[in-house]
Amino acid sequence: MGKNKDMQELTNLMTKALRHKIGSIVNKNEFYAAKYAKDAENIMKEAEKVLLRQNWNGYDKSHIKGQLRNKLKKELEQKDFLDDKKFDIMDDEIGKALKKFGLDTPTTL
Amino acid sequence: MLAKFRKKVSKGSRFNQIYVPKSMENLVEVGDEVEVTLIRKHAELHLSKGLKLPHFKKGLIRDIFSFLDGIADASFIFVVGSFLTEKINYNDIDVVLITSSPDGKFEESVYNKIIERFNLKFHILALEEKRFRHLLEICPLTRAMLSNYVCNKPIAVADRRSIETKHIKFLLMMPYDLLEIKINSRAFYDSLRRLITIERFLRNKSLDMPEINEELEILVNAPLHDKIKRNEEIEDNSIKFLRKLIRAKLELIEGLIKDGKK
Repeated sequence: MGKNKDMQELTNLMTKALRHKIGSIVNKNEFYAAKYAKDAENIMKEAEKVLLRQNWNGYDKSHIKGQLRNKLKKELEQKDFLDDKKFDIMDDEIGKALKKFGLDTPTTL
Repeated sequence: MLAKFRKKVSKGSRFNQIYVPKSMENLVEVGDEVEVTLIRKHAELHLSKGLKLPHFKKGLIRDIFSFLDGIADASFIFVVGSFLTEKINYNDIDVVLITSSPDGKFEESVYNKIIERFNLKFHILALEEKRFRHLLEICPLTRAMLSNYVCNKPIAVADRRSIETKHIKFLLMMPYDLLEIKINSRAFYDSLRRLITIERFLRNKSLDMPEINEELEILVNAPLHDKIKRNEEIEDNSIKFLRKLIRAKLELIEGLIKDGKK
């Protein structure tokens, strides 16, 4: 599979996983919030499989970050049943997920 | 001289009472001063209608209630889930604690103490009473979970149902995702079971867990049903088939939500 296709698949899976995770954080009064956190982990495991298919360079990493941010923002906007606090924690959660996958880009001074 | 004995409190005609054993009547006499300490709280079991449990499970639940009564400040303690309905195929013992103000640490603390005491797999859920009563009205999964229960106090679960679209949409997130992404096969099993539960809730049908499981077995025949239940690898054509079922259920549920709002 090509790198671009893998990148699309990776960001799609990460988007869904992060949406579930953010849902579990902002709707924590839901009985099933803990289950949603687990759903997020399950999807992240699949994303990890895609991650390992390629060697991602700095240019790719920056693209992944951009793609992920756009997709997640769009997804969260559509999900009006999730509390609005979702946007406050979005960037933090993206940062944590990218770091965990070794996809974080060095800060330019 | 120190005289010590253990007895159960019994019901007298006017007061609850403790009898001094016959063998100690010369040691503890009329006029002596004694101190009574509560050692173990007697736990009563209140079973949901129609639920029958073997003696062993009743004894274990009584011990669980008695233990939790001493360590957790809960207005109601429930045991729910497959431990009650499955003979041996249960994963863990689901305990629901209804409290005044639970937090994440409360669940964790209870969990650590209960596994230390019983050495069994538990799943602890804590919920604030007002929120719990609201969820019983609007949440298909909570209602299904409470279709079979054992509680430490008498409780009546009202059959009032109301449709809260935002809540249902929250529950539909994963089934919608499975139309696009491929994760473990158990996710398909859980999602289909969730969709059946939601549909039955919207149709005002019984949310008895064995009935829901039976409906899923009819919808997805063996061996695929067993494979996804056991989280085994499945082929692409099976995924295609399961997605078709999920899509059909989602369309049906969206229609029922719209009808419910009219």
